[in-house]
Amino acid sequence: MSRYRNLIVLLAALLIQVIGLAVQVRRPVLVAANIPGGPAVHVTRDGRGVLLIRLWSASLVMPFERAIHGSSEGLNWLWNNYVDLRHTRDENKELKQTIDRLRLEQAELREDALQGQRLQDLLKFRENYAYQTIAAQVIGTSGSSQSHVIYIDKGSADGLAPDMAVITSDGIVGKVRDVFPHSAQVLVINDQTSGAGVILETTRIRGILRGNSAGQPQVINILADQRIQPGEHVLTAGGDQIFPRGLPVGVVEKVVRDAERGSFINVIVKPAANLQHLDEVLVITSLDAHLSAQQQADLTTSEELKGAEAAAEAERKKAAAEMEERLPGLKDPNAPAAATATTQMGPDGKPLPVPPTVPVAPKPLPALHPDRFSPGVAGGGAGATTGADTTDSSTDDSGAAKPIVPKAQPKSNSAGQGSARPSTAPPTSKPAAKAAPKTPQLSGRVQ
Amino acid sequence: MQSLIPGYRRDLEIRRYPFYVYIFVPLAALVIQAWLPRVLGRFAYMDLPLLVTIYFALNRRSPIHGTLLGAALGMAQDGLTQGAIGIHGIANTVIGFLAASIGIRIVVENNAIRMVLNFAFTLLSSAIMVFVIRVMLGLGWQSNWIDELLRAAGNGVIGLVLFPLLDRSQIRD
Repeated sequence: MSRYRNLIVLLAALLIQVIGLAVQVRRPVLVAANIPGGPAVHVTRDGRGVLLIRLWSASLVMPFERAIHGSSEGLNWLWNNYVDLRHTRDENKELKQTIDRLRLEQAELREDALQGQRLQDLLKFRENYAYQTIAAQVIGTSGSSQSHVIYIDKGSADGLAPDMAVITSDGIVGKVRDVFPHSAQVLVINDQTSGAGVILETTRIRGILRGNSAGQPQVINILADQRIQPGEHVLTAGGDQIFPRGLPVGVVEKVVRDAERGSFINVIVKPAANLQHLDEVLVITSLDAHLSAQQQADLTTSEELKGAEAAAEAERKKAAAEMEERLPGLKDPNAPAAATATTQMGPDGKPLPVPPTVPVAPKPLPALHPDRFSPGVAGGGAGATTGADTTDSSTDDSGAAKPIVPKAQPKSNSAGQGSARPSTAPPTSKPAAKAAPKTPQLSGRVQ
Repeated sequence: MQSLIPGYRRDLEIRRYPFYVYIFVPLAALVIQAWLPRVLGRFAYMDLPLLVTIYFALNRRSPIHGTLLGAALGMAQDGLTQGAIGIHGIANTVIGFLAASIGIRIVVENNAIRMVLNFAFTLLSSAIMVFVIRVMLGLGWQSNWIDELLRAAGNGVIGLVLFPLLDRSQIRD
């Protein structure tokens, strides 16, 4: 047994680590790329929580990293201010001459500074990325060529959380992965396991940004496109819920064909931020806009103007509606009455059958000052019938002509009663004809 | 060839070091490994924890010791990355075991031998990591062998300086 002790220990150590790998590693899920019809790609889902051994390692190494970072600054300060003072007197003389020269240049630069300040104000006006950020210093790396990870000196105690975007003033850097109390691990965009949704500024082609084996960020899963040229700017697309939309990522450095899939290309991106020498970074802690007082005032003014415009528009619509009501001629008298008619109920409580709608011939508008030539006025020819009318009328034995009664009139009288202008109806109906003989009696009674 | 084979007792003796060396040296290797890329950028072609593993395994001549030290240092390295814990661990475990096994059979005081061993073990470590990542974990990870060769060469050169320094810390009878 002791003969194989070394081998047993080796196998035990390997077995423990393999089991550990099996426990902690999830198989990547095959998901479709964001290109329609594109192939499925491996996407590793980030786990939540921090592994205990990762916490131990970080806790073990990060205090020393922090101490080295702090002491190196102190040593630099000590060296520059106390030790490295050779030729100071000569330098002092040269500096005095330089001051005199600079005073003259200062007057010229003042004008340029004022111009620059105005331009800066314009630039601030254009700024859209008003997000809440925390400044952090880079204190270490992973130390592995296979892993592009940096450590920053801010952690959960400072409000950091996983999946927060990390940027510099030049462009995006990566995202927060694991968060410790006073430090955090940032996965840089040139790591092979990173991923960010990006869009090419000119061609508007979307893709996924991740690192390659050479440590360069590249946009993958893009169909070959001749329009993509070096120098084109790459921006964040904003669809990954991590990076805000429109942040600079870099510029296209070159386009290489995907070795495994001939119809696809990889766009090598030169990052806007210097990923090799990062000192200070900004962590976007909230994607909610953090507006300055001036921006807030501008926004309020804009909202007020927008409200005033909406009120004016509503007032204009109201006035137009009133005007429409006051202009009767604007209503279509030929509109089908069935739309506004109420259902007639029969004596048995059942609704009466509605007759089929007969297309009505267009009628002229009523005259303001009717005369005998106006249509619909019962004049001298009221009792006359046309040849066509005789087909629908009947004659009595005496040969006197009866008034023309439209067939549909009795059943659709509700429409006539409901009409806003009953007086405009032609007086050819039967009730009107019957009322005509009574008129002398009434007038005689009154008289 | 005769010089490569231990012919007398001194070559076969187990080197011993103070306890604090076993604590301080691996920790320093981890810290410096994590800090130097900030200064050197992508040109930090070295793997100090692996070098420390190789050194102690060669000189202690104990496969168990080399195995456990390699496993501990490798997993600590993994703890600083975003990857799975055990990738560097498995590689360093195997390297620690092999280095200790070879240290029993050959003389390891020769600088040329040390450089060749460091170069070969670093390359083997890279190969094991690629195997673990691509085969065992099934991750689509691309390897840049030029960088790995440079890293192996860097380890070979650094070992020439580091190993004599560590030799001074050993306990002599």
